[in-house]
Amino acid sequence: MKKILTKSLVWIGYLAVLLLLPQFFDSILAVSLFNQMAIAIVFALSYNMLLGQGGMLSFGHAVYFGLGGFLAVHALLLIEFETVYFSIVYIPLLAGLVGLLAALFIGSFSTRKAGTVFAMISLGIGELLAASSLIFVSFFGGEAGVSGDRTYGPPLFGVEFFQNIEIYYLAAAWMFVATLFMYLFTQTPAGRMANAVRDNPERAEFIGYSARRVRYISFCASGFFAGIAGGLYALNYEFVTEETLNAVTSGRVLLMAYIGGLGYFIGPILGAVILTLMNSLLSNYTDLWMLYLGILFLLTVLFLPKGFAGFIMMHRVAWLQRRIRKLVLPYLATAIPAMVFMATCVLMLELSHLEDESISVLNMELSASSSSTWLGLLLIASTSMLVTRRTLPALREAWESANHVADEPESKS
Amino acid sequence: MSILTLNNVHKHFGETPIICGVNLNIEEGERHAIIGPNGAGKSTLFHLISGKYPVTEGTISLRGQAIQNLPPYEIARRGLARSFQVTNIFPRLSVFENIRCGLLWKMGYGYSFWNLLGRQHDLNTAAHGILDQIGLSQRADYPAGELAYAQQRALELGIAIASGAEVIMLDEPVAGMSHSEAENAVALIRRVTEGKTLIMVEHDMSIVFGIADRISVLVYGELIACDTPSNIRSSEKVQEAYLGTVTADE
Repeated sequence: MKKILTKSLVWIGYLAVLLLLPQFFDSILAVSLFNQMAIAIVFALSYNMLLGQGGMLSFGHAVYFGLGGFLAVHALLLIEFETVYFSIVYIPLLAGLVGLLAALFIGSFSTRKAGTVFAMISLGIGELLAASSLIFVSFFGGEAGVSGDRTYGPPLFGVEFFQNIEIYYLAAAWMFVATLFMYLFTQTPAGRMANAVRDNPERAEFIGYSARRVRYISFCASGFFAGIAGGLYALNYEFVTEETLNAVTSGRVLLMAYIGGLGYFIGPILGAVILTLMNSLLSNYTDLWMLYLGILFLLTVLFLPKGFAGFIMMHRVAWLQRRIRKLVLPYLATAIPAMVFMATCVLMLELSHLEDESISVLNMELSASSSSTWLGLLLIASTSMLVTRRTLPALREAWESANHVADEPESKS
Repeated sequence: MSILTLNNVHKHFGETPIICGVNLNIEEGERHAIIGPNGAGKSTLFHLISGKYPVTEGTISLRGQAIQNLPPYEIARRGLARSFQVTNIFPRLSVFENIRCGLLWKMGYGYSFWNLLGRQHDLNTAAHGILDQIGLSQRADYPAGELAYAQQRALELGIAIASGAEVIMLDEPVAGMSHSEAENAVALIRRVTEGKTLIMVEHDMSIVFGIADRISVLVYGELIACDTPSNIRSSEKVQEAYLGTVTADE
């Protein structure tokens, strides 16, 4: 009973955060950022149904997202030209159904095997559709894409969706419902068997389940929710291009799920938030943001294989032992020089590609053409690197002692 | 009444014959052991019966129904469960989830995505019941992959019996265990297969002779004998082909 209560509280808290966010951050930039996050979260969670929960590595998940988006923008056009008459709030559901339909068809042959076969088929289908989208101009609009106008639909309770904040509440509502259903799916027999097939498809067959059928069900559900995300995208931007269904979008959703953490339901949510922030904010400051994203991904794969969610969950034992405080100082001791090191590296990267060849930091003018700048930066970088390495043993020791539990083999992770 | 019948079963991998015309009747409730030297085809025979490999020729029937060449999940649904020579569990799921997955099909959940597992009282009670039987209740929430080896074998047995199958096939269930672990495992196998048909492959002769009602001897893909333990022990043909050194040691 207590468990159900805590779980309900988490969901009520989630809903409250969604409702209250725009009260605290009401700038146009913030709201448009929230909209992008909502779309990314639904998309990343749907991707994790495949990779994290079902063990299917897809390089073409944007197909279902993009098809949902294109259908949604065509639905907007139909509403605009009064062919059909319904409120735009239902469009994400329609987009989801298109995603489902596409997944029903593609999944019927691609889910036969997981692993490399599945990954290659997903890549092929993704490329196929991206190429076709430039050929079938009447539906996909070629390179120009298709644009619509969300304000023609009949108003719902007087809301006509002129403003971003109205789209925010629409997207938040869809995100909440989609998140809830994706979570509930993990708690059903089909969802649990997806984990079992991910772990050991052969064994699953010997307890009465066709691994292929189990994958197919997850695949279809995943396509449905990706379609919903695509529908939200179309409503938010009122403009859909080939990019929504090509490999770039497929790659981005993989990064979100991976950086956030595949093994945890909340992982892709974190990943979607982090990547949306990088995408929108970082790109205002530097042209190199894609490089930084790549580095972030690399560091995650190397040092946090369970993603940010996994990193947070690593501290569960220490937290339960009430020893988390012992970790604060060792963490700071390592993090501060590590951040100095990273900041210096960033400075060197920025200096090396800037056109005006100088950058001002902490009231200092750094010139890319002076060798003293480079020498100084290299010195700081190597020193901070050394200091970081020197602090690591102490951190490791603190970690061991904070996580030491008698008779609990769990502590080894 | 015989529950499992193999009739002239052949298996070739390419040109190589592995199983050459095996005929075998297994009675309901019987404890049957299959022995034979390495490479005799014992595991292959298991794979043929449980549907991992298709047969090249011949028929296999479970309760009179032909099951040869059906996919493994169809055979499992008809009441045949098995374990594997190499531990074969769901390593990232908890011990409890492993057992619960084993129960799902028998309890009629199929591919349901509308039932919430947490609310299925009967299912969860049954899963806890099996955990008690195999002695892993204390470990219910552990990831299965972190269990000790003997516990993983017990879990595998638990998954097999969870399906409610009437025929349980165990492939070397005590291989790699210490003597005391093996004793516990044998006691566990006896307990949980009570009233069911048991077919096992095992190398440890003391275990085989202790547990089996009948023993089949497989040599180079052919069944050279199928009889009670005492007759097998005294059969010269078997002595010659396989048992010679083992009985001399005892």
